[in-house]
Amino acid sequence: MRARLLGEVLPRAEGNEAILTVEDLHLSFQAVKAIQGLDFTLRKGEIFAVIGPNGAGKTSVFNCISGFYKPDTGSIRFDGQELVGMKPHRIANLGVARTFQNIELFPQMTVLDNLMLGRHRHLRYGSPAAMLRVGKAIREEVRNREVVEAIVEFLELEPYRKAFVAMLPYGIQKKVELGRALATEPKILLLDEPAAGMNLEETEDMARFITDIRRELGIGIILVDHDMRMVMDLADRVLALDFGKPIATGTPEQIQNHPDVIRAYLGQDQSASIPGGTE
Amino acid sequence: MDWGKIVRQGLIGGVALSFIVAVGLFEAFANRMVIDPILTSGWVLVLWVPVVFGYRATRQVVPDGATVRAARPADIAAGAVTGAIAGAVLGLLVVITSAKPDVRDTLLALSPSLVQRLSFGHSVGYGFGVLTLGGAILGAIGGGIDLVPQVVRRVVSTVVVTILGFAFGELVVGDILRSLGLRSVDQFFYAQSRGLKPLGAVILAVVFVALRFLLKGKFKAIRERIPLGTGETEENRATRRNWFLVLGIIALAAGAWAPNLFGLYLNEVLSNVGLFILLGLGLNIVVGFAGLLDLGYVAFFAVGAYTMAIFTSPASPAFDAPPQWAFFQALPLVLIAAALAGLFIGTPVIRMRGDYLAIVTLGFGEIIRIAFLSDWLKPLFGGAQGVLQAGFFPGEQRGGIIVQWGLVLATIGIITLIVGLLRLNATRLITAGKMSDIRAYSQPVTIGLLVAGAALTIFGLVSPGFAVWKIYGIEPPSMFRITLVFVALAAFVSWRLRDSRVGRAWMAIREDEQIAQQMGINIVTTKLLAFVMGAMLASLGGALFAVKLGSIYPHSFEIMQSIIILVVVIVGGMGSIKGVMIGALVLIGVLGGPTQPGLLREFGEYKLLVYGVLLIWMMLKRPEGLWPEARRAKELHQEEMLQDAWLNVEPASEGVSG
Repeated sequence: MRARLLGEVLPRAEGNEAILTVEDLHLSFQAVKAIQGLDFTLRKGEIFAVIGPNGAGKTSVFNCISGFYKPDTGSIRFDGQELVGMKPHRIANLGVARTFQNIELFPQMTVLDNLMLGRHRHLRYGSPAAMLRVGKAIREEVRNREVVEAIVEFLELEPYRKAFVAMLPYGIQKKVELGRALATEPKILLLDEPAAGMNLEETEDMARFITDIRRELGIGIILVDHDMRMVMDLADRVLALDFGKPIATGTPEQIQNHPDVIRAYLGQDQSASIPGGTE
Repeated sequence: MDWGKIVRQGLIGGVALSFIVAVGLFEAFANRMVIDPILTSGWVLVLWVPVVFGYRATRQVVPDGATVRAARPADIAAGAVTGAIAGAVLGLLVVITSAKPDVRDTLLALSPSLVQRLSFGHSVGYGFGVLTLGGAILGAIGGGIDLVPQVVRRVVSTVVVTILGFAFGELVVGDILRSLGLRSVDQFFYAQSRGLKPLGAVILAVVFVALRFLLKGKFKAIRERIPLGTGETEENRATRRNWFLVLGIIALAAGAWAPNLFGLYLNEVLSNVGLFILLGLGLNIVVGFAGLLDLGYVAFFAVGAYTMAIFTSPASPAFDAPPQWAFFQALPLVLIAAALAGLFIGTPVIRMRGDYLAIVTLGFGEIIRIAFLSDWLKPLFGGAQGVLQAGFFPGEQRGGIIVQWGLVLATIGIITLIVGLLRLNATRLITAGKMSDIRAYSQPVTIGLLVAGAALTIFGLVSPGFAVWKIYGIEPPSMFRITLVFVALAAFVSWRLRDSRVGRAWMAIREDEQIAQQMGINIVTTKLLAFVMGAMLASLGGALFAVKLGSIYPHSFEIMQSIIILVVVIVGGMGSIKGVMIGALVLIGVLGGPTQPGLLREFGEYKLLVYGVLLIWMMLKRPEGLWPEARRAKELHQEEMLQDAWLNVEPASEGVSG
């Protein structure tokens, strides 16, 4: 099989119009207000970062978008469809893919099987075809396997194709998770701390993959991470959250120097700047 | 010497011995000879205890990195003391029993004949002494096991395995020899009591020890000569697939021929094994693949049996004019009924997981059984009287299955034709460039399939009555063959589904429901599909069961059936198709099913006890099952694997994981 670029096997999104619009989102767990009045728009081909101290509600935003949490009020419109109230698997089938803060792979399955599960929504054959293993079943398996192999190549996972995920080092597992999200052929990609717990070299690899994905596929990416250097390098726009409230949206430079953001990160001491920012 | 450990192990051993004797296992096996007249299997059930506990008392627990101390002569003494304590506890039981005969009120098995047997025809004091001394000797053997050179240990283990194997497998060996016309050989080795004759035992032991040492490494050499290939290239996989296919066909042919070798009893055992493999494979889809713990699985078995019975029986309570269909006419209906039952039970429990699911399915299983038993549904299912004359042939007092080979061939022909046409279509797409040619189809094979399929279809449809077999339900050999066909079908379906989109979705749900949803998997339909598939396989078993017995009663579908099927799956290896087969062979074949006897008839009422012990032992020592799926074995030994992975400087590569 010849080497392929990601853009050859996965569809490329064209244009830069808005694909995801979050309006006036509120989410609470009993007395705890996790998100209070969040608005933002994600465009195609854009890397949009969400930052904030621990407990600011970043992951909750992802959980609302992917359907795990049902927000109290507000709307999340994706590609012309309302996501609030939709079942998680329907949302995934629309082309919303995500990775998780703590790796959530299927640890007892091989890397290939994990990625093939990412392709699940593109496999449509039923159980009779699966039993006879003819026609559609083989055609779809083979075609999707090609996509998976291209992703394996893109993420440099060749040595681990048949390895069980549980036995892989952490950094590799993070890559497999990104690969699985890519395999779903997403229209938007939600990355929850893709660089958490990685060393400098692995973080740089991850950053390279994220920019490559944006360049080759032109999809919208929402990025949550604590590695400010990576966030500021990659993001086109940044949203800062604190205790569920949006405190600022803007370019990385604007956010780094925004007094409220600095206060949220470092308390009242306004002379300091946020870590990883321009000193 | 670690006296605390010795006393502890000795006492545990003593309790184990007393338990075996007090529940009556010793007496139950007293009349089954291993070596006639020296050794009964009752003694075998007892003798291993001092050996094992003698060994346990001296065994070293070696932490990682520490050095093992050399075995020393003191271990023999320690083992002897342990064994003596164990023997003395049993001796004490004998003394107490003879002094206070009213212990029989609670423990029925503690009879005068038992006292007689355990005091070797002398006084109880004499018995106590012999038991203690015997315990000491056996314990010493156990304790000193590490002192003996490995060669000796190998010889001894081979002798023990050979003699026990031939003694307990006397039925199998005897049947085979008889059917080969070698009755004299049988009589040379086996005594009237079906125990081995001493001379026969010695000869067998010598032969097998010699074989073990002569053939050492030979099997490996032969296996290496078969070009299976290592590594995961496309070619290697193809070779392995072909070998697997050849082996499968050989196994099927051997299985179909096997009933000729055996007598009625063994054939009955075999067809029960087949039935439980079928049920186990179905449950394996639900529990092993999709991870849904279903404790009411017998309900689907019941639905299959009742549906078959109602539509085939001339005495069907459901109809004024019973339709009296043939087995294969009713079979599609059985499958539909089972699928509906799967949906019916599956739908309300779809949101539940783990323990809750287990409890609720347990309840549903009982509901279905009680529904069959109820007066309310009596007009349909006959209540406690059940359905009689299931599958009876019109005008006969017996029933079974009619196989019309013409129609069977036509069915095979139609499937072959479909496969051929689909391959033709795929080839066309490849040439048109619309499909990748990773899996190139060989043109001659496709044409062959088309021609053969068309020929079979036409032939079958033109002469549907070309060969008609009447298989009577009471004929175990034929029933076994039919069951074998169904088992092969079920195994094929399980295997294909496992390696498909559907199977991957099941496993994803088993591992993490939420993340599975994130992959776009609809967990509701996927779970329901698992229930329906499992139910359909179980109903095939039920249909066979109905025509085999000819009468169906609600009490055949007690909860114990569900438990036993689950135990078969767990012992064999959850999620492993071959494991289920091995599990059924070992449990149902050797011990016997809930109501069916196995090879060791003596277990009878102690079967459930043995099942329990086996299950506990498996959970402790081999939780992945006898023959697990690679994946599952790794899951349960993940800690070790992880450590291995970390110890390698290079992260796990394909070779390590393969």
